[in-house]
Amino acid sequence: MQKNGHDAASVVRDTIYRATMALDDQKWDDWLNLCDEEFHYRISAFSPEINKDMIYLQGKRKDMEGLVKLLPKHNTDHSPLRRHTSVYTVEVADDMSSAEAVSSFVIYQNMLDGVNSHLDSGESRLFLVGKYYDKFKLEDGKAKFVNREVRLDNRRLDKGSHWPL
Amino acid sequence: MPARNHSQWLANPELKEGEWIDSRVYSDQEIFNDEMEKIFKRVWVPVCHESELPEPYDFRTTSIAGEPIIVSRGPDKEIRAFLNVCPHRGMLLERRPSGSFLEGQPSGNPKRITCMFHAWQFDMKGNCVYVAREKEGYQDRLCKENVGLRRLRCEVKFGGFVWVTLDDSPKVSLEEWAGEPFECLRESIDAEPLEVFHYHKAIIDTNYKLWHDTNSEFYHDFMHYHNRVTGFNDAYFARKNFAFKHGHVVVGTFEVNYENYEGFESRAELSFPHLPPNQWYMVDLFPGMNFNLRGSALRCDIVTPLGPDKVMIEFRGLGLKRDTPQEREIRINHHNSIWGPFGRNLHEDLIGVAGQGTTMRPHTEQRRILHGRQENQTIHDEVGMRHYYDEWGRWMNRLPNDPEKSWHERNPAEAAAAAE
Repeated sequence: MQKNGHDAASVVRDTIYRATMALDDQKWDDWLNLCDEEFHYRISAFSPEINKDMIYLQGKRKDMEGLVKLLPKHNTDHSPLRRHTSVYTVEVADDMSSAEAVSSFVIYQNMLDGVNSHLDSGESRLFLVGKYYDKFKLEDGKAKFVNREVRLDNRRLDKGSHWPL
Repeated sequence: MPARNHSQWLANPELKEGEWIDSRVYSDQEIFNDEMEKIFKRVWVPVCHESELPEPYDFRTTSIAGEPIIVSRGPDKEIRAFLNVCPHRGMLLERRPSGSFLEGQPSGNPKRITCMFHAWQFDMKGNCVYVAREKEGYQDRLCKENVGLRRLRCEVKFGGFVWVTLDDSPKVSLEEWAGEPFECLRESIDAEPLEVFHYHKAIIDTNYKLWHDTNSEFYHDFMHYHNRVTGFNDAYFARKNFAFKHGHVVVGTFEVNYENYEGFESRAELSFPHLPPNQWYMVDLFPGMNFNLRGSALRCDIVTPLGPDKVMIEFRGLGLKRDTPQEREIRINHHNSIWGPFGRNLHEDLIGVAGQGTTMRPHTEQRRILHGRQENQTIHDEVGMRHYYDEWGRWMNRLPNDPEKSWHERNPAEAAAAAE
């Protein structure tokens, strides 16, 4: 473990960015390896239409493992999702055993299928905007995700996606 | 047969009339314009659910056939619908998707629908109650009592959905319109109040009927790994489609084996009232609304056609209003694991209709779209679509397989009976 909170915050930031790259590259196992056994994942949004907080998808680590394992059996849009993540805040607990972070993200679809791949492939389109609210366990100089809430601004989601965000 | 040349490709299929249609019904702007006038401005449309405006003065905004609509709950708790249009100079009265008129607005008072432009104000019954500087500007030539909002027919029915029609004299009442197809669900969705827990929308470059077609045929279950492993068994293949008056279809139930999909669970413990465990009913209403009850969660799709090649689909998920937080969370998981924007099935369905939309864009070559599977009205029989397009032809006075020809001329006896 690092000697001070500054080092711990750097580890948290590094872990968030590693997760970003793993998700961009669809390296699902690499992403899950950044997550603790107690990991919980949730995609949520607030709908002013129905005036409710909503959960669009959620699961524990085991559920997410099952989800990504079965992806090859599902038809899906082939256009890769890639994201820009900016870590806004990292709060390390006084006892240095946990941390919380807030990041913003912009996810874009780098069109492969598109509406008509002949016309659309190669283009990048804005897909989702929101924030990651992450919680970490800090141990042995590493930060492991124990919770990630993907908080979307979008409620217009068009074709949606099968992939973790 | 080997791959076909152009004339073979354009030849009519060796199927009976009604078993195939001309793709222009999905792509032609003139037909689309006709549909808005002849169908969407005349049918009952479920625009939202009563739980979206639970308190007096709550409102929701929506639209039918391009006409903006406001739905509000009065202090008497009655839900009413109006055109969301100021009678003064046509300003949109309320710009937000939802809210409460209990709060005053910069241009107006609490408990009023206020036009922000010139501060005209209306009460929850649509009466105009204030015209700014009325006497100074209009003297006795126009008075506020004569410039109320345009009220629309509105009913809360079939599980608490708010139904609106732009037609002041609809051909049939809402009960006559949809009562029979809803019979299979009534006990379950009217036993106690429901509540919306999920909302999202998709705007897809495709025709609205292609979405309804997808909801009306289950042959496409080959596309869904989830449905194959949880469904394909003798009971599934015996599942029947039932056609009802006005172009509606009900897909009969069977027991789904959710546990067959790794990580998923039975929904038996949270079944809707009176619904046997893990049963699955589906009601497809002409011209494009769908109610889908899978054991523990009800889904409703409402289409808003935006053009021959563009549709908005609003997706709602509903549970029981009395759900505990734990029950609600389970229902939400059940709903979204399949039907959410990141669920296993919905994404696949939307890819399917987007792909159809790509091949049937305006000005593409007309194609023959086959609706000819006949399997004793069981699950992969395409009777649902055939029934729909027969009704569509009646409303549009166009033959679905040759839309420039008159349906009435082809069906003179039925046309005469309908005219009476």
